[in-house]
Amino acid sequence: MSSKINVYLIEYALGSIIRQGHKSLFITIVFTFLTALLTSIFFITNSIKYELNTTVDALPQIIVQQTKASRVTEVDISITDKLLDIPGITSVNARVWGYYYFANAGVNFTLIGIDEFEEQYSDTLEGIVKKGELNSSGMVIGSGVRKIMNSSYYKDYFNFIKPDGKIKKVEILGQFESDIELESNDMIVMSKDTLREIFGIEESKATDIVVKVANLEEVGTVALKIEQMFPNARVITNDDMKLSYENIFNYKSGIFLALFVIAIFTFFIIIYDKMSGLSSEQKREVGILKAIGWRVEDVLKEKFYESLILSLFAYILGVILALAYVYIFNAPLLRDIFIGYSDLKPTFEISFILDFQTLFLVFFLSVPIYVAATIIPSWKVATLEADDVIR
Amino acid sequence: MNKKSKITFYLFSLLGLILITQVLYLNSSKSMSADAKEKKVLFVGLTGLPDLAFSSQSSYIRHRSLSMTSDIYSLDGCLREYDSATYVIANSKIVSKTNE
Repeated sequence: MSSKINVYLIEYALGSIIRQGHKSLFITIVFTFLTALLTSIFFITNSIKYELNTTVDALPQIIVQQTKASRVTEVDISITDKLLDIPGITSVNARVWGYYYFANAGVNFTLIGIDEFEEQYSDTLEGIVKKGELNSSGMVIGSGVRKIMNSSYYKDYFNFIKPDGKIKKVEILGQFESDIELESNDMIVMSKDTLREIFGIEESKATDIVVKVANLEEVGTVALKIEQMFPNARVITNDDMKLSYENIFNYKSGIFLALFVIAIFTFFIIIYDKMSGLSSEQKREVGILKAIGWRVEDVLKEKFYESLILSLFAYILGVILALAYVYIFNAPLLRDIFIGYSDLKPTFEISFILDFQTLFLVFFLSVPIYVAATIIPSWKVATLEADDVIR
Repeated sequence: MNKKSKITFYLFSLLGLILITQVLYLNSSKSMSADAKEKKVLFVGLTGLPDLAFSSQSSYIRHRSLSMTSDIYSLDGCLREYDSATYVIANSKIVSKTNE
């Protein structure tokens, strides 16, 4: 059998598509929409995953929290010395951080304390802060926090309400750069002492403890040792967080996939219905083609070209629309499912990643299936005798 | 090639061209630069907090691992029990409301 492309068959297939006008148009629209929807979901999920995976290695290797009655409580700083006795641990850092609810705007800021803007932190901060001189009495804020504060007329400082009802005025020193908006939008970084005052955390307490291990292979063993040493502690490793990310996004994209499965099944039912019961007109067409000398394989080739042109066109169009929708228009509507309901929403500008896996997945989920759904019923008719079909 | 074939050929070429242009444009303007990546790593290294800020009020993403999750986010028990069964032990405000 010759595998050469028969141009005449392609021309006939094109003619057939045009003859079926409305039907072809309807299938193209539905196909394009479904491809665009599915591709958009995968694009969003992949970009967010990429964003998270970029920074996941910078996260602490082990985080130790204290629990009491299964509630997370403040951790006693004195346990840091005991932790340092465990072989393999190179450094232990007690962190102070938490959420500050700003009732006026109904949002939670994330406040993080660092050690008095020590030199090492100053260098880091200089790299990521847009402007401002850093000192221990002020704070650096994310762009979302800046907007919220501006709307409440806090331009140069902010008044935090302490647990005792008194006010703590903190000067705004600078703002994080827009490059890190996705990470820093709701963050406020200040000195640990100021934060302790705002949250009313004693000197001997901390929010949690960050542990660094020299050998990455030993993280699991060290975590186990910490758990055994402090049965009440909740020990979270970097791998747990990675796993958690996977769960989150599999869950979120799973919701979409469930919707998509329903949509695609409807699509297949329409295709099946259309093709299994080839209209009498289409049957007669196949019959006439056979009567004038077309072989079964010619008919199948023509149907193949017809379905391939239609589905490939819709697929490419769908991918183009999805790329524009996600990366140029920042995924209106769909993004709300990912970003929640906060007033502290950052601009949802996710990084562009060309994921060939996604493109292949969507391709094989749509184009070959449509082609098969077109060819099989045609084959059934084409194998019948011409006069039987026409009659 | 007849007129229809030519039009189809041009149409597919146009689509291909749009796709390639779009990918090149997005790659140059919307992909993460090495500088931005470095800043992100610096920031996350500084704060040590995971997750992205666009989900600060979403129960399922922001800092689930690092706070009093049962209080702030009623849906999640804790990091390692992230499945549907976790919701059972969560303080369900929905259930309370339906019982009223």
